[in-house]
Amino acid sequence: MTPAQQNLVNLMLAVAARDRIAFAALYKATSAKLYGIIVRILPAKGMADEVMQEVYIKIWDRAGDFDPARAAPISWMAAIARNRALDEARKRAPVSLEDMPEGYEPAAESGHPLDGQERSEALRALLGCLSTLDKEKREIVLLAYYRGLSREALASRYNHPVATIKTWLHRSLVQLRACLGT
Amino acid sequence: MSNPEDIDALAAEFTLGTLDPDERRGVTARRLAEPALDAAIAAWELRLGPLAETVPSVAPPNELFGRIEARITGGQGKRIDAEAAVPVLPAMAQSADSLREIIVLRRRLSQWRMRAVGFGAIAATFALGIGLREWTRPAAPKSYVAVLQKDGFSTAFLLSVDLEARAFSIRPVVAQPEPGKSFELWLIDSKLGAKSLGVVGDQPVTTRASLAVYDRVTVAGATYAVTVEPPGGSPNGIPTGPVVFSGQLVQTGP
Repeated sequence: MTPAQQNLVNLMLAVAARDRIAFAALYKATSAKLYGIIVRILPAKGMADEVMQEVYIKIWDRAGDFDPARAAPISWMAAIARNRALDEARKRAPVSLEDMPEGYEPAAESGHPLDGQERSEALRALLGCLSTLDKEKREIVLLAYYRGLSREALASRYNHPVATIKTWLHRSLVQLRACLGT
Repeated sequence: MSNPEDIDALAAEFTLGTLDPDERRGVTARRLAEPALDAAIAAWELRLGPLAETVPSVAPPNELFGRIEARITGGQGKRIDAEAAVPVLPAMAQSADSLREIIVLRRRLSQWRMRAVGFGAIAATFALGIGLREWTRPAAPKSYVAVLQKDGFSTAFLLSVDLEARAFSIRPVVAQPEPGKSFELWLIDSKLGAKSLGVVGDQPVTTRASLAVYDRVTVAGATYAVTVEPPGGSPNGIPTGPVVFSGQLVQTGP
């Protein structure tokens, strides 16, 4: 575990003990990452802000459930953020590609880590397994993950019936799980 | 749908986010009652979670944290980022000696705040800490601060204790251990002796709940000391190196 990860674990434990100073520190350390995740799924103005508040309130309420032996703090928090953002996205009209930022290019969702960032071992394994999927199927999985696109939105983007997208997603996920072996 | 393969497929698409709204609502409800489904979702969160590393960060609007705090406290309690005066230290103002200490402490607190700009930049670099300025402000009821120092002049560590939660945060101000050595924090009590609170000073902020096993009176009345230990801390749970910094708590919250 890197010192930064250990620090997040310590902060999570202190937050579970209702330490508001630690909560402020946790927010400082993680809010830009979680906001980045949420705003990609909910690009419409203002939506992400409301979800962001609910996500951190949930983190405050549920910090006691966090188990450092199971997940890295940032993964645990990212799952809460994505889940809440997806709930919101599904409540509204399907996300259309018009909602996407100008110049947005799905192929750019390559799953490559940002420059200068170290890949965790888990990310390396996942990217390795994603690379075993056909290009189009990989893109579909990544667009669903990063942008929260529904099957319908993916079907219209890739010009396939929804049933085909459904089958592809199912097979891709089975293949990923087998490849990861976890 | 009790077939494990079906449950796993449902969990996978729930986690990815591609279930349609009705299916999604169904899974959200079912996972509360079906441990197997809930565990399958948790496993998929672990599998896909590393992708979060690849998402670019986006700074949220500045006012968001204030709104979150307000909702957590229900508008009660002091806001951590609120403007606050120099911490009031009523509990200590009982003798001429402690009064003098308080005056010195107040002066130091304002000096630290002035340094906070520079220190905050360092903390931001590590994307770990909150600014020292916010940190030294009264945050929650029953919060205490100790200045751990060697003599009356050089402040080495700032220790903040939340007496309610019996959790602490400690932040090195200038202290760095010699190469190949670690700093270890101890609670020193007249009855209990020295009790380790763990290695400190290897990060911009260390926050732990390791005071939880001690009662409030012990926590509030103890002396806190930092010793120099082998890397990773004392091998046998008792201090092996010299005390280099020490101090006692003063109350900063109401």
